[in-house]
Amino acid sequence: MQALRLARPRVALRPISGTRSIAATANASHTASPSASTSSQAAIPLSNVEAQWERLSSDEQYQVHRQLEDIQKKDWRTLSIDEKKAAYYVAFGPHGPRKPHSNPGDGLKIAGSVVVAIAAAGLVFFGVRSQAPPPPKTINKEWEEAANQRAIEQKLDPITGIASEGYSGTGFVQHK
Amino acid sequence: MAMRTQMLATLLRARPTAMRVAPAFARPSSSAHGQETFESFTERYVNFFKSAEDLFEVQRGLNNCFAHDLVPAPSVIEAALHAARRVNDYSTAVRIFEGVKEKVENKQQYQQYLDELKGVREELGVSTREELYSS
Repeated sequence: MQALRLARPRVALRPISGTRSIAATANASHTASPSASTSSQAAIPLSNVEAQWERLSSDEQYQVHRQLEDIQKKDWRTLSIDEKKAAYYVAFGPHGPRKPHSNPGDGLKIAGSVVVAIAAAGLVFFGVRSQAPPPPKTINKEWEEAANQRAIEQKLDPITGIASEGYSGTGFVQHK
Repeated sequence: MAMRTQMLATLLRARPTAMRVAPAFARPSSSAHGQETFESFTERYVNFFKSAEDLFEVQRGLNNCFAHDLVPAPSVIEAALHAARRVNDYSTAVRIFEGVKEKVENKQQYQQYLDELKGVREELGVSTREELYSS
């Protein structure tokens, strides 16, 4: 079962005064660039935070956090759907550590690539084999039977083997 | 003679282990540590969420509460929603329902939770993730 991962990364982005003084000092870069934060002081529209969140600078993201913090202090019944979605997305949306590892359609891509890879391997296999020299002239039934005859002529292994009396084995013949 | 001792040794080796090693130090599993009942669990977390005063506490409580092999009772969810309202975090309230959805066994149970908590959802204005993203 998928474990619930509740908002931890928010601590780094949203230094709450007082209790989070350590986080606030750790994120001093937010406050260290006053020119940047004042220049973007105009309220960032929350209507489409999902689309532009990745492109916002960390200062702007921090500003959105602050905006949402104020919005969420209001009566929740009066919030617009955009504000609700923005609050949810910023806290628990698929960005940062919650970014999914795979996108929809990845399974098909992987399956397709595997099929292509196996086909390529088969192509190489049969290609190499088609270029191979023919098998040795000794590997055929006629040669093996001739080898048997020669062994019997020479009385090879006369006690238990091919030249023995009543031998019923195949001798050197390996082809069916 | 040598054969007989060897046979005896084989027989001795073949005996089951339990006979050879007396369980002198083994101790039967104890029931001294009482299991927390569902009711006391519910009461504990309702009290926890009633006294939780900041977002971190609420989320810590939710993590702990949803980590057990049970679905928290509606009263716990309700207390958690009120706690989320108290710390002014709407997203956590939405997330609670996501957690319930993850914990229940099927859609009917989730729907039962939604119906049971309809009052508090309307009172606080909490929509579920499905409601947010379907419209």
